[in-house]
Amino acid sequence: MAAQAGAAGRLDRWLGRLPLLRGRRPEALPVRLDHRRIYVLPTRLGLLVGGVLLAMLLGALNYNNNAGLVLAFLLIAVALNSAVMAHLGLADLRLDALQAEPAHAGGLLSLRLSFDSGRRAREGLWLQNENGGPALLAGPAATRLDAVLALPAVRRGRQPVGRLRLTTTQPLGLVRAWAWIAPDAGMLVYPALETPTPALPGASTPGQGRPRPDRSGEDTHHLRDYRLGDAPRQIAWKASARSGQLRVREYEAGVAQDVQLDWNGLPGLGTEARIRRLAAWVVEAERQGRRSRLVLPSGVLGPGRGATHRHACLQALALLPTTPA
Amino acid sequence: MPALPLRRVVVVAVLVASLPLLLHLPGPVAIGIAVLALLAGASALRRPLPIGLRVLLVLLACGGVLAGFDFRLGRDAGSALLLAMLLLKLAELRDIDDARRLVGFALFAPFAAFLQDQGPLTLALGLLAGAAALFALARLAHTTAEMPTLATECRQLGALVLLGLPLAAAAFWLFPRLPTPLWGLPENAVARTGIGDSMSPGDWIDLMADDSPAFRVRFEGPRPPAEQLYWRGPVLSHFDGRTWRRDPRLAALPPPPLPLPAAPDGGIAYTLTLEPTDRRFVFALESPAGWPPQLQMDGEASLLAREPLRGLAQFQLRALPVQAFQPQLPEPLRRAYLALPPGYNPRTLALAEDWRAETPDARGYITRVLGWFHAEHSYSISAPPLGRHTADGFLFDTREGFCEHFASAFVVLMRGAGLPARVVTGYVGGVRNPIGGHWIVRQMDAHAWAEVWLEGEGWVRVDPTAAVAPERIFDTLEDRGGGGIAAGLQPMFDLGDTLREAWNHFVVQYDALRQVQLLERLGVRNADPLRVGIAFGLAAALALGLSLALLLRREDHERTPLQRAWRAYLRRWARRGFGKHPEESAAAFAARVGRSVPEAAAPLEALVARWNDLHYADAEASAEARAELTRALRQARPPAIGGP
Repeated sequence: MAAQAGAAGRLDRWLGRLPLLRGRRPEALPVRLDHRRIYVLPTRLGLLVGGVLLAMLLGALNYNNNAGLVLAFLLIAVALNSAVMAHLGLADLRLDALQAEPAHAGGLLSLRLSFDSGRRAREGLWLQNENGGPALLAGPAATRLDAVLALPAVRRGRQPVGRLRLTTTQPLGLVRAWAWIAPDAGMLVYPALETPTPALPGASTPGQGRPRPDRSGEDTHHLRDYRLGDAPRQIAWKASARSGQLRVREYEAGVAQDVQLDWNGLPGLGTEARIRRLAAWVVEAERQGRRSRLVLPSGVLGPGRGATHRHACLQALALLPTTPA
Repeated sequence: MPALPLRRVVVVAVLVASLPLLLHLPGPVAIGIAVLALLAGASALRRPLPIGLRVLLVLLACGGVLAGFDFRLGRDAGSALLLAMLLLKLAELRDIDDARRLVGFALFAPFAAFLQDQGPLTLALGLLAGAAALFALARLAHTTAEMPTLATECRQLGALVLLGLPLAAAAFWLFPRLPTPLWGLPENAVARTGIGDSMSPGDWIDLMADDSPAFRVRFEGPRPPAEQLYWRGPVLSHFDGRTWRRDPRLAALPPPPLPLPAAPDGGIAYTLTLEPTDRRFVFALESPAGWPPQLQMDGEASLLAREPLRGLAQFQLRALPVQAFQPQLPEPLRRAYLALPPGYNPRTLALAEDWRAETPDARGYITRVLGWFHAEHSYSISAPPLGRHTADGFLFDTREGFCEHFASAFVVLMRGAGLPARVVTGYVGGVRNPIGGHWIVRQMDAHAWAEVWLEGEGWVRVDPTAAVAPERIFDTLEDRGGGGIAAGLQPMFDLGDTLREAWNHFVVQYDALRQVQLLERLGVRNADPLRVGIAFGLAAALALGLSLALLLRREDHERTPLQRAWRAYLRRWARRGFGKHPEESAAAFAARVGRSVPEAAAPLEALVARWNDLHYADAEASAEARAELTRALRQARPPAIGGP
């Protein structure tokens, strides 16, 4: 598999140099693979078998060896058909949607792509882009096929999905059919977190930062549906079991003191270091269940708490220009 | 190393691919390579052999193959070596790419077999080998550990092959053929058994027991009587005391004047289909009166092909039975046909001188010799070996032998008596196949006879063996079958041979000439290579279009199994008289049927409910649920509806 991926990578780079095949402009979803965007070329094995068949054909023609010609012509016809089949293996496939949960820079983004298999069953399709994959795509006709591509999150900000390549060498491994998709979509990459996690500002006064005891019982929180990113310890397991869906406790009121995360309070640090520290603080405050207020040159977020607030803060940090105005 | 199931597939594919070639290798080499195949196959399934052992095996295989072919490197030795290397490669399958390449190379093995034989069995085995290789390639092409079932794989591969048939057929009939080869066949160092350009008394024992066909004949008109079926091959004029050989100086002379039929289409017309011999000799009915330009006649009236007959060869020939030919024999030739090595066969030469003195008439002398043969010599296929003086030993001591002995001793007697004479080899007789209507001449019909040059007449054929045992020469089917089981099976043999002849004619013999004839029948006149090419292009485009149309049609019909099962279920209801209207929902249909056939209402409604659930509502339904409903729909049968 690794060797194949390596060969595919080489092929990819090589083909990328051809002006004809260089990436199309990013396009809006859904993208249907029609015959104009599917390319077919022999694999190395295909070239070898082609050489064997050509030698067989020439030899059989020279000696008028009809048995040899029958075999050679039959195998050549099958090889040609396998190229058509490889083409059809991709044709009519449709990329409907893609989404990726944000990840921190240096981590892994899992890009979930959702295809419609169209009129035929799909088998042995491999999906990859310059940075990640391959991921397998297969399934019966007229169904939704999902593939998850693990991609490295390179740096904070909006990371383009880039050109995706769908490849197949089915049914005989003699030809490789491939198609490029360049979806007009980006994946959000949160800033990397400073490690080790710095202490929250104001935590030097422990009396203030101590959480208030929660005496209000069940009334102080309500349950809502689970959302991606919720911490497992927030899940209300009993309630989930009753309702058949994951439910999460949401605290109506803060149980800990607010914390002020100020861009301007960190004069000694460079831009990126500040961003890393602020991001680490946002995450840490959320982990401790404390409301936070993020002050950035571009504006103020919060005070707030919960996944939405955390996401808003990290997104704002991710999208900060590299040299703030 | 690739996974075990994959290695198993590769081993099977390579073994199957080597089978057709293995069957055409000489016994000891074939056995050696078969052992090698089993060893390498077992190693591929278990663990790779250590490098030292592999090198040893390679050396052993090379040495064994070369020794098996007496260290003469030719086509057969080459293909045997190729096969051995192919099989040894099995013992070192490092990764999946290795396996794929090996399967690709294995496709050469059946082709090498076809160079030796193009019979139906070899072709069938070769095609099987191709199918096995394709199957292995398909298996190796799967990039996931999860493989489709054997049946699915075979069905997909079968579809691929079937869709390839139109193009393959178009290419076979219409791909421009080469009228003349670009390069010659690799020389084969070891000749096949059969009549060669030398003969010593007693060396045909194996040949006389070989019932494989030498050639087949189809007469266009009535065939000549059996005692005239002499198929003339090489003429042996040079005798060294032990062996008769073809004399290249005599053969290089211009062909002698032969009587020709009055009309160009006179004489006996026939088609001769020769099995491959690796030699140039053509066995034509005496005496040749017309032959195609691929043949030429040598100075001793033998027909030769311009190239060795390495494959099946077919010629249209004419013959004209004549009593004698070449009435003028120049003195140097006369001397050559009288030459005898000094110091051999003193008793025979003494006898020849005595009798010649007593009977000066040449014909009288011949009659006397034949009479002596008839009276005091007997025909035996198991003649004892002869000493230095072969003619003396045969004529005076052992007094039994077969055609070689008789012909050799007879020519010595003739030359000793001053009559120019020579040994002619070839075949005699033949057996008619009652089913196919053709004649088959086998290796065991090989024969040697003599020609004597008589003053004022020319060369006259004399068959001394016929004087002793005519029944052994002109035997026919009835004599040879021997009765019992063999006779009972004869019709089967006849049928098999007829099929083989048809195969030879329609498949093996299809060539550039026949291609032109085929196109002429299709209305293409003067088909030059360009026109053949255009015809092929059109046919190939048509065939490709057909394949593509079938592929796309298949695609259109390829719904999910569940949808297919649902439609099939509805069709079963339609046959009972309850077709679902297109505008009708499934539930409405079920309700309508339920009103008419109350006993079917419950199961139908249950199925419809499940169908609606899975097909319309639940996009996330599990594969098991779909498969289960598919199975239920396939098994469901509407009840028989009888009565009003």
